[in-house]
Amino acid sequence: MSTDTMIQEKPCYSYGFEPSTANKTGDWRFLTPEKSSRLSPCRQDCLLDGEIPLWMEAVKQEKWEEAWQIVSRYNPFPAITGYVCYHPCTSNCNRGQLDQDIAIEEVEKAIGEWRLNNIKAVQRPIKYKGKIGIVGSGPAGLSCAYYLNAAGYSVTVYEKTSLIGGMLTLGIPEYRLPRYVLNRELYMLEESGIHFIKDCPIGDKKDLCELYEEYDNIFLATGAWKPRRAYIPGEEDRRVYNALDFLSAINSGGQLEISDPVVVIGGGNAAIDSARSALRLKGVNHVSLVYRRSRAEMPANQEEVEAAEREGVELIFNALPREVEKEEQDIIGLMFDYCKTDLNGLSIDRSRSFSKSCGTVVMALGQQADLSVFCEFGRDVPFFAGGDLITGPSTVPEAIKAGRIAAYGIVADLEGLPVPQVMLPEQPVVSFEDLNLATKLNIKMQHKECTPELEASRCLGCGTCNACGTCYIFCPDMAIDVINGRFELNLDYCKGCGICVKECPAQALVLEGGR
Amino acid sequence: MRIDELKIDSEMLYSGHNACPGCGAALAVRYLTKALGPNLAIVLTASCWSIISGMPPLTALKCPILHCPFPSAGSVGSGVKRGLNAAGHDDTTVVVLAGDGGTFDIGLQAMSGAAQRNEDYIFVCYDNEAYMNTGMQTSSATPFGARTATAPYPLFKAGQKKDIMQIMAAHGIPYAATATVAFPDDMESKLKKAQAIKGFRFIHILSPCPPGWGTESSDTIHLSRLAVSTGFFPLYEIENGVTWKMTHYQGEKKTPLKEYLSAQRRFKQMDRQRMEMLQHEVDHEWDCLMEKVATSPSE
Repeated sequence: MSTDTMIQEKPCYSYGFEPSTANKTGDWRFLTPEKSSRLSPCRQDCLLDGEIPLWMEAVKQEKWEEAWQIVSRYNPFPAITGYVCYHPCTSNCNRGQLDQDIAIEEVEKAIGEWRLNNIKAVQRPIKYKGKIGIVGSGPAGLSCAYYLNAAGYSVTVYEKTSLIGGMLTLGIPEYRLPRYVLNRELYMLEESGIHFIKDCPIGDKKDLCELYEEYDNIFLATGAWKPRRAYIPGEEDRRVYNALDFLSAINSGGQLEISDPVVVIGGGNAAIDSARSALRLKGVNHVSLVYRRSRAEMPANQEEVEAAEREGVELIFNALPREVEKEEQDIIGLMFDYCKTDLNGLSIDRSRSFSKSCGTVVMALGQQADLSVFCEFGRDVPFFAGGDLITGPSTVPEAIKAGRIAAYGIVADLEGLPVPQVMLPEQPVVSFEDLNLATKLNIKMQHKECTPELEASRCLGCGTCNACGTCYIFCPDMAIDVINGRFELNLDYCKGCGICVKECPAQALVLEGGR
Repeated sequence: MRIDELKIDSEMLYSGHNACPGCGAALAVRYLTKALGPNLAIVLTASCWSIISGMPPLTALKCPILHCPFPSAGSVGSGVKRGLNAAGHDDTTVVVLAGDGGTFDIGLQAMSGAAQRNEDYIFVCYDNEAYMNTGMQTSSATPFGARTATAPYPLFKAGQKKDIMQIMAAHGIPYAATATVAFPDDMESKLKKAQAIKGFRFIHILSPCPPGWGTESSDTIHLSRLAVSTGFFPLYEIENGVTWKMTHYQGEKKTPLKEYLSAQRRFKQMDRQRMEMLQHEVDHEWDCLMEKVATSPSE
């Protein structure tokens, strides 16, 4: 008998020839692993609710286009926010407890710049007949315009000045946001078919009621530009600027009458921006920043305060301006009173007043929204509004978020859809202790050289499946399927041992009772 | 890790096998077949895997498996390899798969004979430290202090675990190594290295057994990792019986053994004195190993 016939004939012993997949071991299970929906600390802290671990993963794999698509779901201007956002996302980064926080803003910036360099702006087709008018071309207005334009609506943006960008262009100094980034971002928006009408202040040239007639829906995002006054003698002098006028003059290349030294009054971000901008002006050698409360009570971002101090801005605390001292036509100094916060609020000690010599004063005492334009009507006309106009002075990312939420609301209103869930639902946040760092399969320690890809590869992906493959590697039952690059549980065979849940480095799985 | 690095196509284990939830042996064989396959023949002695591989007509592996009696794994492996060579299948890797019973106790003489003849196959012992398949009876691989079916409370395994690696090193075989399921990369590289060597090769894999050890099924990998970090099961390799090398050396700082023992119900009745004895023993073995590594002749 030859070997071939031996094999072909049915053997007389029992043998296995069918894959054991016929045996559905899933019915042994009494605990079931499930993908969990827990928040990462970065997403919890993100002012834009961005899906940070997800785009970090895309960057790690050098899938830039995918990364841009994920980012743009919550943030259409990653290049801008990469520069100007104070990145609260990094403050509670779990990676920080291992070695160092991840520079999330740098990766975000890289995604934004990749997009500006690699994706050409195309005229978006208008798919729906709704027309939307947006008042104000600041971050909130632009973000709303972006989303509505992308969804296929005709969008027109009205701008009071001759420059698009609102606070981005006029308020934020160039050292914080390079103008080539901003201009390319604005160019992309113009190219994609959003209609901009400049030099058209609402109220003067165009009435809101007219807008309401012309458009199916309007979004008001005029911001907060009305400065607060100090009500001190001498404040009307032309060399006493308010911070926003001061910054917009610098940013739009206008003329300023400056004489050294400069004193900035205030403790917010506008004050810091003014002080740092003043320091960069020709002929200015000394800049002091005076704040009425203590350093710990400053509302400004601490990183910015430290940067200002490094650059040589003199910081003075617990001083309240009393009077602008003048000699003939020139300002010669500012009189301050000592003051401090106690249980009664701010208490002023007139006996401990001092004078500071100065040539120019910048008042950064905060701004308010100017509602006078909308006072006459508005009761009868429904509209959407957002950004600084509603919240008072806040940050660029918060304005962008307001624009996005407004865009969703407008679409729901136009199409008669239910208002979508735009806020992040309350969920437990993944803490450092929750992470399984023993699974060192995908954890790389600090890199010496730094590229966005390497930085992103340090992300632990808290609470988010970043397709690291740990569950696949450790599953004894081959019950993890790989479908289109994602890992899916195959409950036909999962015996519910829970290894995947225990070993998942990111806590993206949870073990539930029952089948 | 990227998805293409996972080498999903080279998996040889099917879902639906009969291992308990969280089985370390199923994982060990999955890594083993993936690393050595697909041109692979497995000789399987009586062990848990006799059950895991499935009842005919089902089979859990994509490669042929030959079941053989308990004491004969070493000899059947020799025969299969020689038969394959005679039929011209020189390139087929033969793996003898045995549990700790089929290696440390019942299969020892056949294995020793094959090692002495330097038969050309890989002997893989997946060690779950007792006769788990038949009901957790003590084997000579059971560590000191463990409670088993044949040493129920208040009894416990009194003797030390047999040092199989020393035995194999004394045979002077070309390659011997330890591995465990928490370190699949390490296991893969050792198996690949073994595959490239001709002669008798021995791989000792510690595979945690949730029902036998009295642990949560999800703790398999955690325990396997602890076994390494406590120094209870160091990862090393021995070339030609003389060159000892650490492959996963975490430095002198070892996790206290108590952490590993207290996670398992089989050590639940262990008092402090016995725990200290075992810790002392582990430290001593570790020092001996370090000395062997330090005094190994370089290649």
